[in-house]
Amino acid sequence: MSPATSRQVMPLSLAGSLAADPEAAPRQKVLIRNVDFFYGTFKALKNVTMPLHDKRVTAFIGPSGCGKSTLLRVLNRIYELYPGQRAGGEVIIDGENILSPRVDLNLLRARIGMVFQKPTPFPMSIYDNIAFGIRLYEKVPHHELDDRVESALRRAALWDEVKDKLRQSGLGLSGGQQQRLCIARAVAVRPEILLLDEPASALDPLSTQRIEELIAELKADYCIAIVTHNMQQAARSSDYTAFMYLGELIEFDETERIFTRPKQKHTEDYITGRFG
Amino acid sequence: MGVYRRRRLVNRMVMGLAVAATAFGLLWLVLVLWTLIENGVAAITRALFSQMTPPPGSAGGLLNAIFGSVVMTLIATLIGTPTGILAGTFLAEYSRGGRFGEVVRFINDILLSAPSIIVGLFVYEIMVVKMGHFSAWAGAVALAIIVIPVVVRTTEDMLNLVPNALREAASALGSPKWKVIVMVSYRAAIQGMVTGVMLAVARIAGETAPLLFTALNNQFWSTNMNGPMANLPVVIFQFAMSPYADWQVLAWGGALLITITVLLLNIGARALASWGTFKQ
Amino acid sequence: MSADIAITTRVAEQRRRGAIGDVVFRALTFLFALLVLLILGGVIVALVEGAIPALRTFGVSFLYAEVWNPVTEKFGALAPIYGTLVTSAIAMLIGIPVAFGVAVFITEICPIQLKRPLATMIELLAAIPSIIYGIWGLFVFAPFVQQYIEPAIIDTLGQVPGIGALFAGPPLGIGVLTAGFILAIMVLPFISSIMRDVFETVPPMLKESAYGLGATRTEVVWQVVLPFTRIGVVGGVMLGLGRALGETMAVTFVIGNAHRISASILQPGTTISASLANEFTEAVGDLYLSSLIALGLVLFVITFIVLAIAKFMLLELQKRAGS
Repeated sequence: MSPATSRQVMPLSLAGSLAADPEAAPRQKVLIRNVDFFYGTFKALKNVTMPLHDKRVTAFIGPSGCGKSTLLRVLNRIYELYPGQRAGGEVIIDGENILSPRVDLNLLRARIGMVFQKPTPFPMSIYDNIAFGIRLYEKVPHHELDDRVESALRRAALWDEVKDKLRQSGLGLSGGQQQRLCIARAVAVRPEILLLDEPASALDPLSTQRIEELIAELKADYCIAIVTHNMQQAARSSDYTAFMYLGELIEFDETERIFTRPKQKHTEDYITGRFG
Repeated sequence: MGVYRRRRLVNRMVMGLAVAATAFGLLWLVLVLWTLIENGVAAITRALFSQMTPPPGSAGGLLNAIFGSVVMTLIATLIGTPTGILAGTFLAEYSRGGRFGEVVRFINDILLSAPSIIVGLFVYEIMVVKMGHFSAWAGAVALAIIVIPVVVRTTEDMLNLVPNALREAASALGSPKWKVIVMVSYRAAIQGMVTGVMLAVARIAGETAPLLFTALNNQFWSTNMNGPMANLPVVIFQFAMSPYADWQVLAWGGALLITITVLLLNIGARALASWGTFKQ
Repeated sequence: MSADIAITTRVAEQRRRGAIGDVVFRALTFLFALLVLLILGGVIVALVEGAIPALRTFGVSFLYAEVWNPVTEKFGALAPIYGTLVTSAIAMLIGIPVAFGVAVFITEICPIQLKRPLATMIELLAAIPSIIYGIWGLFVFAPFVQQYIEPAIIDTLGQVPGIGALFAGPPLGIGVLTAGFILAIMVLPFISSIMRDVFETVPPMLKESAYGLGATRTEVVWQVVLPFTRIGVVGGVMLGLGRALGETMAVTFVIGNAHRISASILQPGTTISASLANEFTEAVGDLYLSSLIALGLVLFVITFIVLAIAKFMLLELQKRAGS
């Protein structure tokens, strides 16, 4: 139907999910329900409702300012660091509404990992970067900590490159390595959900590809939500896609369907590059 | 003369004046440093560092003054630095545009440039009068009050330079706010903060007025913080204004010592500040 | 599963400690920020308290009486106030143009490699402690002024009818002019540094469009840079003024410490801070002491106002540059 889909590339995600979880129907991990968001008086999200499935990748796409990053940041309530920003509605994770004021923010964030657009290694050694999150909540004996750090770095496909320089500063790594360091840091605390905010947008194409491969592997264990302005990346890497525009959710569906037979004209226009 | 010729002439003159102004400024720097070295070098002897301030007409050194200055500067730094860092942290990390923070910032900047002799008067009233005598403690407190605004300012400025994404990354891992500040923000800003402390120390190393009515001076060797203590600036003041030649020589020597210390700290602070920018 | 439960209890423990840590740390930083305000408040209270006996005795006349007699216990602040204002005025008259020239040179003329070292050197002028300027002034500069400069001034400007009285008198070397000159050298790095920072905020495109029309450097500075940064420049000047008003040691050494007002700036005088530095520890008698503290209060009020204005102007510039 749409020219963009005539490429007939099999989404990595589909291949990955066929391999990892061939039988289990996708389980809903997060339900975003009637969510609004305000920057002061400006309403940035309008009545957004959609699910995020466990062990699947959901991509948020849309033009600049559509609210995709805002929505992502609602999920771990990182917006609460800033006065004047607030969210309405519900976000239900495993039956609990995490937007409720009774929820402990730090514990919530320990269950949800976030990777940002620009790599943000802490000004400390690679080892300490990874251990930082672990040390926050667990008293782990020394050798076990070493194991945890190593397994996190292996998961992020960074171990071989840094195993000899764990005590060196994280700032000395290349951009792509730093971003994988941030991913390792996020998975080290064993979260259930991973939020990725345009994780490869500041990286070169080779690093971008490695990150995408990484995401395909990580999917087996986490519920992943990724914001991307790169539609090809969304088409390649995700199972579900949410197209947003001016704060509203225009369409949510399986990625394959969105990119081949979008239901909304708006979605089709965006995917074919008519705007944005 | 055509309009353009006149404009060119004016331009040349103004630019020439700008060059002259810079040369003028540099000239005084060179003159002051030159005469300082010329007159002070004569006083740099072993005796300077091993003997006490003498009565007029005899030889001596500045040991008690050097000791007093070092001790009071150290204590002032120990008092003023944590105070300044914590207050600056409040302004950078907790205040975020609130009224209280704005007022504190405003007042802090005024204290930063306030006459140091007023600080001396203040500490005189609250410590010397209450305690009934001059003391090195009072001197250290007066110097600390001068350190605090400098450290507050540099701490706030340096913490504001730490990108928010770094804080968000730590918070996203579930870190409580104080750990985000202490373990991430401070570490990111440490270079600038140390620079600020060095500049503060350089500032108090040469301050005389705050010590005039607090620590006063002491002719003899003393380690008693509860009494008047000798210090370089006040000794220089006393000796230089006197008519005795050997006292004046000692004054030059002390002046040279202070200036070297201050310049080294200043240049060191600048070197530290720009070291990071080359690293990145 | 049991491992998870074990982790959960440890987590709850850490979480509780984290929450306490947050409360304690925030309270701590708040307290020390409050301390800054309390210091200023304390200064005001202490000065006022100490000055009250004198103010009560002399009333408002304290501010305009030119008398300073510890024996008869009659004190008036006019001479020190006058000296403070005049030396600062001289410092500004000399310092502002020079600072401006330095700022223009460093931002517009100087080759890039020299910018940093030159700026550092000018700023070293500010780093040199006041007392160093003091003894240099007393032993080197004042004699030089006495031997060469002042005779020249007396012979030229001192002969002009009208203003001649400003430059009259025996050449003593020390005096109001010398003190003002040294003050100029001391404050010019402050003013220059702020001017430089402020000049750098001018968007390059603005300057480029002026140059593109064929304007000379002077014209760009005078007609583009200065108007754009006007408020910041005034702020910087006020900051320099604030410093000059409060300067103590350099002035004390070379002003001559005479509690009187002379028409001639070549004559000795006194400033508030110089009087304090010279007389405080020798002052005998409560009224004497209180009068000195009253002087300090006057100085504090003057510098506070000047510095507050400076801060307002610099804040205003920040706001505008931000938009």
